[in-house]
Amino acid sequence: MSTNAAKNLFIFGSLLCFAVLIILTIDTIGKLDERAPEITEEVNAGKKVWHKYDCIGCHTILGNGSYFAPDMTKTTDRKPKEYLKKFILDPRSIKPDSAMPKLGLSEDEAGKLIAFLEWISKVDTNDWPPQPILALSIAGRTAIAGQVLFQKYDCVACHQIRGIGGAAGPDLTYIGLKRPDIQWHIKHLRNPESVIPDSAMPRFDDLLEDELRDEQIEKELKELAEFLITLK
Amino acid sequence: MHYQSHKIALNFYTAALLLFLVQVVVGIIAALQFMWPDFFILNFNTIRTLHINALVVWLLMGMMGATYYVIPEESETELWSIPLAHVQFWATVLTVSAVIIGYIVMGLNPQANIEILGTRLLNEGREYIEAPRWADILIVVSILLFLLNNFMTVLKTKKFTAVQGVLLGGLTFLALMYLPGMFYTKSMVLDQFWWWWVVHLWVEGSWELIAAALLAFMLHKLLKADVRVLAKWMYIEVGLVLFTGILGLGHHYYWIGTPRYWLWVGGVFSSLEPVPLLLMVWDAFRTTRETRGVVENKVGLHLTVAHAIFNFVGAGLWGVVHTLPQVNKWTHGTQITTAHGHLAFYGAYVLLIVAMIYVTLPSIRGVRQFRQSGGYQAFWWMTISMIFIVIPITGAGMVQTYLERLLGLDYVTVKASYNLWFWIFRALFGVGFLVGVLIMVKDFFTLGKKPVS
Repeated sequence: MSTNAAKNLFIFGSLLCFAVLIILTIDTIGKLDERAPEITEEVNAGKKVWHKYDCIGCHTILGNGSYFAPDMTKTTDRKPKEYLKKFILDPRSIKPDSAMPKLGLSEDEAGKLIAFLEWISKVDTNDWPPQPILALSIAGRTAIAGQVLFQKYDCVACHQIRGIGGAAGPDLTYIGLKRPDIQWHIKHLRNPESVIPDSAMPRFDDLLEDELRDEQIEKELKELAEFLITLK
Repeated sequence: MHYQSHKIALNFYTAALLLFLVQVVVGIIAALQFMWPDFFILNFNTIRTLHINALVVWLLMGMMGATYYVIPEESETELWSIPLAHVQFWATVLTVSAVIIGYIVMGLNPQANIEILGTRLLNEGREYIEAPRWADILIVVSILLFLLNNFMTVLKTKKFTAVQGVLLGGLTFLALMYLPGMFYTKSMVLDQFWWWWVVHLWVEGSWELIAAALLAFMLHKLLKADVRVLAKWMYIEVGLVLFTGILGLGHHYYWIGTPRYWLWVGGVFSSLEPVPLLLMVWDAFRTTRETRGVVENKVGLHLTVAHAIFNFVGAGLWGVVHTLPQVNKWTHGTQITTAHGHLAFYGAYVLLIVAMIYVTLPSIRGVRQFRQSGGYQAFWWMTISMIFIVIPITGAGMVQTYLERLLGLDYVTVKASYNLWFWIFRALFGVGFLVGVLIMVKDFFTLGKKPVS
């Protein structure tokens, strides 16, 4: 190949690739609206809060950003909003060993930020992040009644048992030793703040997706508490 | 031939190296914050912003310095306007200083980052392009003045060389690709879509053009190799860089809310991205082998070849291992990316600028012989340290991918306990890297000033 031929291949080849990129870009931009919910004023205001506090300096979102703190793409799917709001306002009051400092967001800003995070969690990301293999394998396993409820209400999103689960709430590996009283657990599950002041954990009622009869609630609370005291 | 214009190159090199020093010092602080988040008065986000912005800016200033050296030498004339180049240098230094001060103020008091005319005053909160809009505009003006001066220099003697063409073409492409990052979008998906145009088409597009042009220039200057052969291979390299790199952009569009066809486009084209980088390694070895005669600047040649090798290893190999969507689905957003980022920037661009400095500094100072041991010492301290920074981060990424992504453990648990030793090793070798940079900075200020013993 002569130098001139190489030069022409470089110039025209690159222009051709760039033209294809522009066509794909136009097509992609046309398809974005159907892959995400509508952007309300609140969501846009939340995005501005995200930029204002340079959240990307520690977190990733859609998997891009800094790698110092958890990815924020599907956060609102797994963490209750009440918890997120309290955490954002003052992380260490909720989780004393948290690496996140108090950044000085107002209540209003925290609400908008959560609206933005809810929007991002509904974006069609081609199934990313994938479901962890272990979480899928546990789902079909038979277990005692309380353990099934523990999975059903996604307690594992915030609590760990023997290293598996979220780190937003306290580790429950030895909770049976620390709190051996079933009645304490029932009371705590029903209304966490009645036994732990300022607790960020949602009430049991708030986790229910369907209306349950009172007897059913009593039964589930008892089963969950029975499971928790077996953790030793 | 000695040109007054080369003093400008020296100014840019000096500013670049001082920023390099800042980058590495804040990098060590960031590494320590992985273990102790409250270690320093500024939070991690500000420290990291300083770390990556110092990197981008010092590499850009290094490229500008290199260009101010290459263009007069290739055109065999002084710059079109030396005073304009001085103005552009000091304007750049002032803008960069103001931006850095802004980041620190915002780090100390986030409420100072107010909104003005729809943009943030101190920090845009977008990775790599955190610089606020007013600074973006000043940076664009600075780059335009820089391009004007160099293009006019080439037009002055009308001596067009292949190296000049690709170098200035790459720099123009670089300037154009800064623009997609300069407008606000309500959608975070669209935000990241355009943001990748800037980030990807810089580091995997225009910057690689600049690297290929400077590689050809250095091989010619060091070995007196045949310009026509060098030019031919340079065109093939940059042709392949853009053929694979432009549509390779698709590997950033797998999971950000963009259509599924990008999995195919990105997977196919980005898998080929290491090919031109391997060709550059072969080019460097072939030219060295085929050129006979005594090489005076051995350390310059050593660094040039090392740049080609580590460009391929860091940007090529460490990138291609996680570029296929089947793999990237599990590794996206983990420390694997951090490891790739460190080795790629070091190999492709840090060593490029370091090599350029060692290849051109003797001519700028007007010496043929100089003490070369400082350059070798700096190289080995930096390179060995970087390898032992990248190995722990790669390990951390593998552990994270397995425990968090496959088994479902929490991010914080993996980071705080399972990966702790990796962070300790990374910080230790960060100090080793700083030793290398200090040796180089000292060598830079003294090179050629003392007689060779």
